[in-house]
Amino acid sequence: MDLTFLAQLLLNGIVIGVIYALVAMGLSLIFGVLEIVNFAHGEFYMLGAMLAYFLTAQWGFGYWPAIVIVVAAAAALGYVLYEALLASLRGEGFERSILLTLGLSMVLQNGALYLFTTTPKMAGTSLSYSNVVVGELRLPLARLFALGLGLAAFGALYLILHRTRIGKAMRGVSQNRSAALMVGIDPRAVSRLAVAIGIGLSGLAGAALAPVYAVHPLMGFSFVFKAFAIIIIGGLGNISGAAIAAVLLGVLESVVTGFLPLVMADALAFVAMILVLLVRPQGLFGRGVRV
Amino acid sequence: MSADHKARPLLALAVAVGLLALFAVPRLTGNEYVLALGVSFATMSVLAGGLNLVYGYTGLLSFAQVGFFGIGGYTAALMVTDHGWPLWAGAMAGGGLATLVGIVIGYSSLRLSRHAFAIVSLSFALLCMIVARDWVDVTRGAMGIPGLLPPAMDLPGGLRWRIAQPADFYWLLLGFAVVAHALIYVVVTSRLGRAMRAIKLNEPLAQSQGLNPVAYKLLAIALSALLAGIVGGLFVFYLTIVDPSIFDFYYTETMLIMVIIGGPGSFWGVLASSAVLTVVPDLLRFTTDLRMVLYGLVLILAMLLFPGGLGGWLHRRRVARWRRPRPGGA
Repeated sequence: MDLTFLAQLLLNGIVIGVIYALVAMGLSLIFGVLEIVNFAHGEFYMLGAMLAYFLTAQWGFGYWPAIVIVVAAAAALGYVLYEALLASLRGEGFERSILLTLGLSMVLQNGALYLFTTTPKMAGTSLSYSNVVVGELRLPLARLFALGLGLAAFGALYLILHRTRIGKAMRGVSQNRSAALMVGIDPRAVSRLAVAIGIGLSGLAGAALAPVYAVHPLMGFSFVFKAFAIIIIGGLGNISGAAIAAVLLGVLESVVTGFLPLVMADALAFVAMILVLLVRPQGLFGRGVRV
Repeated sequence: MSADHKARPLLALAVAVGLLALFAVPRLTGNEYVLALGVSFATMSVLAGGLNLVYGYTGLLSFAQVGFFGIGGYTAALMVTDHGWPLWAGAMAGGGLATLVGIVIGYSSLRLSRHAFAIVSLSFALLCMIVARDWVDVTRGAMGIPGLLPPAMDLPGGLRWRIAQPADFYWLLLGFAVVAHALIYVVVTSRLGRAMRAIKLNEPLAQSQGLNPVAYKLLAIALSALLAGIVGGLFVFYLTIVDPSIFDFYYTETMLIMVIIGGPGSFWGVLASSAVLTVVPDLLRFTTDLRMVLYGLVLILAMLLFPGGLGGWLHRRRVARWRRPRPGGA
């Protein structure tokens, strides 16, 4: 076994795992606070990547300004999404939230297909081709930046949830809605912020991956289902559980594809999820599916 | 529902006339486009009818229908081409396998909750597509199994019906759709259907009346899987190919829209909406992208404005009319 090859696979796995984690944590946050399963979550990841592509490759923005613009735009979109659609679902039906966000996903995905066609686009900045060389290991800069951005977002989310008042209110609502209401937490403000943060994280994931992989309108679709599997494996509504499960899955997929090329790496997440549901329905790290 | 009883003979007459007209279509026109629309209506209406049984009557949101459909298609194609089975046996095998798989995923996820079932059914449908694409030894991978030959069926009386013309497929699929809808109708108007509705409305109350919710839910899933599997087995011979795109999410979205617009839990509403939603977008010649954008908008609006769909709206109007005080009445 080639050690460099293994190290390369591990690095790729950790990068993709961190990106999975960004999407899955947002999904988990929205589920925890609003009890809504957001089927359209992957489309915001796709839109983030699209916007990053247009900003860098077409309109001549640099990497960092593009990231900032994408995250701000995604968070603003999340705000609008909550006010326009999700607020009216308050306290009503799991199924209705799925169907509503599925409709939104159909509009965004097929609208993007219509506007941008299926041709994959490469956000080829100078960054895509630079490498950091450590010994025999070549570390592509774009991947390292994606990793750094992901870790910074983890840190920021942790600080918001544990150190700020509104973050504590958010955790309060997701732990016990009625008790949170009784102590005077405004569920609307908290939900709005949770959706804005969740969608913002999804946009960040898209922007961070845009220089690494090709950008196309269907990229969000397969991604979001994997993110569902991740949040169930981690325990629905458990944000750090989702992050750990995401990184584990990314590494596992990368190593499996590297050594056993014909095994169905895409199926891994779903098989793991079904096993977890059967053996440990509350998820690996607790909380679990609420009835 | 007492108003329905008065309308029974009229309804039966309307159904008989409608069916005669539908079956006479190939005699009146050889237009292949019309026949193709008929085939796709028959197929989609069976899928939507099964979903209505599971979601509309029993209250389980399921994404698994398309998985059963594709399992039926693959099983029938493999049995007929590789093992020389007759079409009916291949389609039955497809339906049987789909039912078995449906019971397994239903039983294992319903122990947890309705919500777990929704998520597991979704992952199941996605897994089906991955397996069809990557398990090359059995499914032939992404290229699928092309060139399925026109099948033949032995009819009673020693006749052999070679199903080759578009009209033959039209009769075959429409015939099966009639059987399938009749079966669904019998189930939903019987004690079984009432039990399913009771479970959807209030599960603990239904349980306290001695109903076993898991058994009824499994029955709904199994029946919908059986019908979807058989219709998948017949439909692939019409397509002459089965490949992983038979598991496309497009089918799921289309049948969900049909159920939502027709009204979950409304037999005639869903049947009508499957007809309208097969014919209208095709006549308007939308590209698939634009059609799906439109369906998505319709789904959002329906969820915001009429969660009960057409059937629910009609039902509400009927209830409102009963409640209205009659002038000069008691």
